[in-house]
Amino acid sequence: MTVWVSLYTSSCAIVIAALLGVPIGLWLGLNRFRGRQLLLALLNTLMALPTVVVGLLLFGLLSRQGPLGPLGLLFTPLAMIAGQTVLATPIVANLVLAAVTGADQRIINTALTLGASRFQAAVQLLREIRFGVMAAVIAGFGRVIAEVGVAMMLGGNIRNSTRTMTTAIALETSKGEFAFGLALGMLLLSVALLVNLFLNVLQQR
Amino acid sequence: MQPVVSLNNILVTRGDSFKLSVGRLALQPGLIYALTGANGSGKSTLLRVMALLTPAFEGTIEFSGNKTNNPAQQRQKVTLVEQSPYLFKGKVIDNLNYGLKLRGIDSNERSRRIKTTLANVGLEGFEQRQAKELSGGEIQRVALARALALKPELLLLDEPTANIDSSSLQGYESLLRDLPKYGVTVVFSTHDPSQSQRLGDQVLRLENGRLLSSPQQRLDERRNLYGT
Repeated sequence: MTVWVSLYTSSCAIVIAALLGVPIGLWLGLNRFRGRQLLLALLNTLMALPTVVVGLLLFGLLSRQGPLGPLGLLFTPLAMIAGQTVLATPIVANLVLAAVTGADQRIINTALTLGASRFQAAVQLLREIRFGVMAAVIAGFGRVIAEVGVAMMLGGNIRNSTRTMTTAIALETSKGEFAFGLALGMLLLSVALLVNLFLNVLQQR
Repeated sequence: MQPVVSLNNILVTRGDSFKLSVGRLALQPGLIYALTGANGSGKSTLLRVMALLTPAFEGTIEFSGNKTNNPAQQRQKVTLVEQSPYLFKGKVIDNLNYGLKLRGIDSNERSRRIKTTLANVGLEGFEQRQAKELSGGEIQRVALARALALKPELLLLDEPTANIDSSSLQGYESLLRDLPKYGVTVVFSTHDPSQSQRLGDQVLRLENGRLLSSPQQRLDERRNLYGT
């Protein structure tokens, strides 16, 4: 069950983060405007955001006295998904931005001169750098599946509901069940290994 | 005859520096224009302005009499083949299909056009080749085919023969010479004065971002010369 909760929340979070992060990265990569440098610095800072800080801020929003308290989201998988989305979006956006910046500068003009609109040209660019985009999404997934702070503070480590692999490891270890924690740790490591192997295969294509 | 494209008082600047200024230039249909000038004289800039890729700071560009209101629609009348063209990842046929699909051309007509244009550039049967496995000269010709398949009113070629080896140069030039037959107006830039004389119906000379002799002026000069 904990494995399932981990995969479920992280997958939902990464889908939302991709839907937000890919357009943001694309937009930042293709446009030059005042304040862009500031946005880039902000994005870099967000990338390094400690997971407990995100947990703390969202806890403030979602707790019963908080502005979103009446929704009753705290200690539900939804709250975890929200927190993990906040963590993953800057990573996806930043890595997509890097892929756009590193892409061949002729792609956009080639699409335009063949009759594409600006939007269609941007879509074509995404198609050309699709492996970089996939790598960005997988890197974001790697971050959220491995994090503890958000899962613990927003999920609450409730068995069969919001207990993930990472919070289970923390719990089992503090209970003195070191061996069980270690076994879970191995499981988590193998998920991370699988994700990275997949990434490697993508990059070699 | 109504010009394919006419430029009026075009001024292009980049930052504070002056790039290009064209008072008036009207290109007549069915002609080949050779664009000459030293490096940095503005040849590529002029081609990009005509391709509606570089916005002009001032001035207007009209295609067949229409003012450029919707750039995406106007851009479908003109195609630029860059000096070192970019081919999209995937197969040759994907590259040729791209612009045709954007124009909503059905698949029968698409495959027919792709077959004939590839044959025209001497790349018969290249449809299924991977773009990344092509040689420099083949890339150049696929890019030309990709542009020709769209049947543009105006075809712009930036140094089209710079990456063509001498053995295929003749075939390439005769291909260019045939283009007006298909109703295409061509502007190509070149360093080679003999090539501009050989291929160009008219020669446009750029110097430091200014057009030295517009075709109309040349005609006028010729008339004066013969006293007509």
